[in-house]
Amino acid sequence: MNTRPRPEALTLLRHGSAIAVADLAAVYTWRTWLFGWLVRMLSQVVFFTLIGRLTGGDERFLVTGNALMVCAVEATMVVASSAWERSLGTLPLLVAAPARLAWTFVVRSLQWVISGTATSLVALFALGPVFGLRWTAGSACAAVPLVLLTSLGTYCVGLALAAFVADRPGLRNVVSNVAYLGMMAVCGVQVPVHYWPPPVRAVAQALPLTHELDALRGVLDGAPPVHVLLQALLGAVTGAGWLAVAVLGFGWVARRGRRTGAIEFGT
Amino acid sequence: MNAVEVLGLRRHFPSSSRGGRGTPRTALDGIDLTVGIGEVHALLGPNGAGKTTLCKILATVLVPDAGTARVLGHDVVTELAAVRPLIGCVFGGDRGLYGRLSARRNLLYWGALYGVPGRELRGRAAGLLERFGLTGHADERVETFSRGMKQRLHLARGLMHDPRVLLLDEPTTGMDPVSARDFRTLIGELRGEGRSVLLTTHDMAEAETVCDRATLIDGGRILHTATPRQLGALLSRHERIEATGVPARLADALRARPDVTSVHDGADGTTTLIEVTDREALAPVLRLLIDAGVTELATARPGLEEVYLRLIGDRGMEVVR
Repeated sequence: MNTRPRPEALTLLRHGSAIAVADLAAVYTWRTWLFGWLVRMLSQVVFFTLIGRLTGGDERFLVTGNALMVCAVEATMVVASSAWERSLGTLPLLVAAPARLAWTFVVRSLQWVISGTATSLVALFALGPVFGLRWTAGSACAAVPLVLLTSLGTYCVGLALAAFVADRPGLRNVVSNVAYLGMMAVCGVQVPVHYWPPPVRAVAQALPLTHELDALRGVLDGAPPVHVLLQALLGAVTGAGWLAVAVLGFGWVARRGRRTGAIEFGT
Repeated sequence: MNAVEVLGLRRHFPSSSRGGRGTPRTALDGIDLTVGIGEVHALLGPNGAGKTTLCKILATVLVPDAGTARVLGHDVVTELAAVRPLIGCVFGGDRGLYGRLSARRNLLYWGALYGVPGRELRGRAAGLLERFGLTGHADERVETFSRGMKQRLHLARGLMHDPRVLLLDEPTTGMDPVSARDFRTLIGELRGEGRSVLLTTHDMAEAETVCDRATLIDGGRILHTATPRQLGALLSRHERIEATGVPARLADALRARPDVTSVHDGADGTTTLIEVTDREALAPVLRLLIDAGVTELATARPGLEEVYLRLIGDRGMEVVR
């Protein structure tokens, strides 16, 4: 009757990500992903790029920003999917398990990172050239990890928000939408970050999307590698910071739920 | 050391009125309870009695306002890391599983959450699927399962990390009679393996069949804890005969005997319940009944259901608040 008191991280990641894959398979078939979701998101990129061009914007700037933005849109869906644990009735069992509650939430919605990364890469590589992006083998190879880092970083932002709406699941879609629209506004997607007043710029600096987008534009514009690496690193660090906030937040959810009785056994 | 030791446990919840300004609701009002190692202990009470609150505290999902609760010597408030691997938690109904995952995947995930080593996970999951008759459905999505199948999977999930103490909160909800009978067999097996079980249930027959001791709880207070037979003795210190088709004249004659304490009709309207002063009085009364042609006879003490109804009252669907 011996069990290890602490779960093995890799085993937990492996079996927890099965939930993410199952949810992804339940939300999309390959046809609905390809002809539904992907077409919808590519249309969004085209729409904002054309609107920007009509108002005199730089279409290379706009298509890069909006193509990378789509992975952020999908990653913030973690706010909504984290609330599924409560509706499934699994939350009390997760709290009662020895594994740290936060890691179960980190793992269970990774489907949005996978789907979002794929969507953004298609947008960048398929739509980008239509609006003036010129890919080389080197820049294309550099873009892949930057998109993945953006998805992961924004996913961490979403996780932190998910922790703070855990007791108010009715707010999950509002928070998710406000979060990605806010990022779209301030992170340099449609207008440069320096367009905004200093307080807004400070908020933008705390978001991974701002730095990864800067790095990606650097790759496309031939900026020095040091600049690209520094921005990528800043994006990763801010993402890690949000992950830390999420871990603390879910710890607070568990402690508060144990105190108030908000974690209900379901029938 | 006991499997479960509860001392002076109290828990209140804020009023459900707007702003929580009303009188707080008392879910547990200073209860004491012990469950021995290897004991199957039933917790019986109406809705709102405090059964689930107690289970939640023992499962470390809720903290008490006062008092202590220990599982195999570990405090459920301060020693979470020690307590959690020791407990298997199963509740009734069809929630608490990942419907989009297969039964096997569910077990693998929950095993991983409890730190079952990766190399042992698959073997354990396969063994439990076999034990609960789910091998043929192991790779089907759980959302396609019947409620009874989900309930069996819940039990398998609760055993995945080989816990020493099981908290079963109305685990047979939704089970068909055959599955419920198999469940009772399983409880016997778990006892045989040295596990301790705290079982909350509304099913008196289930509690009477499987438990070593039962606790009646109402309004957050414990009314009695004893073996089912001892609880039966609370209602009647006398031996009881249940007979069908007792002639009215014989019933009157029995009432007149000094070794018969009462004669009255049973709840079903066809049986007569005759209580006698002691075991020695049974034989002559039984002989009288047989001589009068009454052949449908049974001797017994009151069952748990009768004890429950007498002590807690027939409250129907009312929930205590």
